[in-house]
Amino acid sequence: MKATFPNLGFDTPVIRGFFEDLGAEVVLPPPTSKRTIAMGVDHSPELICMPFKITLGSLLEALDAGADTVFMAAGARKCRFGYYHFLQKQALARTGRPCRLVPVSQYTPFDFFFRLMPSEFGVSPVRVMRAVGLMIVRSRMTEEFRRLVNRRRAVDFAGAERAIGPARELVERARTLGEIRRARQDLRRMLAVNGAGFGDPGLRIGLVGEIYMMLEQFANQDIEKELGRLGVEVLFVRSLHRHLLHLLHVDPSYRRSRRLARRYLRSCPGGEALRTVGEAIEFVERGQADGIVHIFPFTCMPENIAFEALQRFSEDSGTPLLSLSFDEHTSRTGLLTRLEAFVDLAARRKRDRSLSRR
Amino acid sequence: MTEVYLGVDVGSISTKGVVIDRAGNVLCREYLRTQGSPIVSIRRLLRELGGRLDGDCRVAGAGTTGSARRLAGVMIRADIVKNEIIAHAVAAGRYHPDCRTVLEIGGQDSKIIILRDGIPVDFAMNNVCAAGTGSFLDHQASRLDIPIEDFGAKALSAKNRVNIAGRCTVFAESDMVHKAQLGISTEDIIAGLCDAIVRNYLNTVAKGKDIQDSVLFQGGVAANVGVRDAFERALGRTVKVPEHFLVMGAIGAAILAMEESEERETTFAGFETADIGFESRAFECEGCPNRCEVIETVREGEVVDRYGDRCGKWSELN
Repeated sequence: MKATFPNLGFDTPVIRGFFEDLGAEVVLPPPTSKRTIAMGVDHSPELICMPFKITLGSLLEALDAGADTVFMAAGARKCRFGYYHFLQKQALARTGRPCRLVPVSQYTPFDFFFRLMPSEFGVSPVRVMRAVGLMIVRSRMTEEFRRLVNRRRAVDFAGAERAIGPARELVERARTLGEIRRARQDLRRMLAVNGAGFGDPGLRIGLVGEIYMMLEQFANQDIEKELGRLGVEVLFVRSLHRHLLHLLHVDPSYRRSRRLARRYLRSCPGGEALRTVGEAIEFVERGQADGIVHIFPFTCMPENIAFEALQRFSEDSGTPLLSLSFDEHTSRTGLLTRLEAFVDLAARRKRDRSLSRR
Repeated sequence: MTEVYLGVDVGSISTKGVVIDRAGNVLCREYLRTQGSPIVSIRRLLRELGGRLDGDCRVAGAGTTGSARRLAGVMIRADIVKNEIIAHAVAAGRYHPDCRTVLEIGGQDSKIIILRDGIPVDFAMNNVCAAGTGSFLDHQASRLDIPIEDFGAKALSAKNRVNIAGRCTVFAESDMVHKAQLGISTEDIIAGLCDAIVRNYLNTVAKGKDIQDSVLFQGGVAANVGVRDAFERALGRTVKVPEHFLVMGAIGAAILAMEESEERETTFAGFETADIGFESRAFECEGCPNRCEVIETVREGEVVDRYGDRCGKWSELN
């Protein structure tokens, strides 16, 4: 079996490691590019969301690279994403690429550990658990990597960009617990900001929104990098690490953000809308962020509802808010202009506030 | 010697320039059509402004804005290159401190800016389509064979405003043709078109924004009294058009340049830049499947700026 799965930004090697720990041979899709999106769009319904189009394009590219078995996240609980594997299976068949698509339901851990993974890879449930444990540790490393990069970019953009290549290699190579521990130490050293004579970042912005858009840099047009270029430190909660903990019901931030969100959303409109709203409230009320950037796929129903709630929160709390919906038509120039204007606006407001406080 | 500040706003349709003094008085201003060639129009603009300026004036700061702000900034060696949202907001806040809402409709984009106590606090831009912006009005005016300058006045003399579908320019146009074939007067159709533009703006760009007094209407389309009238009808408020509505973006750029050059000497290249050979060219990078289109600005045979690549391979060479 040559297994594959769609790209997931910096976390692609983390998932690859999981499958390799189960003894699988993995064929990765090439890094997401314009071609990925073009291939995905060709075989997608027009108004479906961007995660569908990119993951489909990614799978097509992986099949062309020699993969024969596709693992696609599923689980019909949160939003239509749960049904994507049905449609993608049909789409892949229509393109005439022979393959087997295995939906991996996210919300049935028992089935995952005791039936699906053991039967796919001929391993014991204990080995699956160990592989998941390692995946969680590795995803914590990529989460820290993102956090360190964002912090460094805000104060030393060129230096951060120079360090990213080698740092990323470290992240991709570290497999065992010992290697991961050493890699994290090296990462902290390579991307350090303390004691290096850098000033404070002028502005901190909390990034919230739909998880795929948050994790796949190509989908969000590298928004963390562009904000870093403007001297902004991007804060985030959502990551693969948090998501895995949440699926195992051991993520305390999940319950906290859902509770905070109740002020603006009495019930869950689906997807991750409650988290989006709750995280934004938490960023602001803890005094961590000077503004909120909300990103989501065009036509995403739950996040559109979250957007309405965020707007009310933004008015009530006087927090600058920028909501951006993405699809394959999103203009890069327009995005950069909006980001630049938003950062200016948030900086002017912050300056104004600190003046009036004095 | 009077210290003055230059602001240049290069948009898709028009190129605007102003020179202001420290007190914010507009000494001279110029409005040209970009005609698809910003380099030529920036050159003409500089020549015009430079020629009209008193010999006693020294440019102590220069700023650029608009969609060609980067190119213009490189050409004149501006002290500051700023996006048009902040530029418009700064100018509105400076001349009309009581302003809380700016409606701006330009050649190919439209935006709304919310100010509180003179500080911009929120904004939105049209993102999906350009329905109801200046170039569409231009196109309809020439189709109906009415000079664009008289277009708005015609709308004011309408007796029965008709309903025009305004969601999309293509549908709006076919609806206009349809109403004309029914024999409805041109005035009524134009008034309907103004209503449709305003409706579209309020439902898309200004959606969810808290519009409060006083409301300023800026940008090229503010010259159109018909659209202004339609705004007042739809909002039930007075909509003011500032004296320099055409060049507010350029004024904002000049004010920002003034702030920027408080502490340091200007880098402005002088009005003579007009005569230096500039050119922009594009090539497709073949480094990866993204095939980014990279734009190079060339000054007398030497590359002075590169941008457009996603990975930074080219732009970081600058």
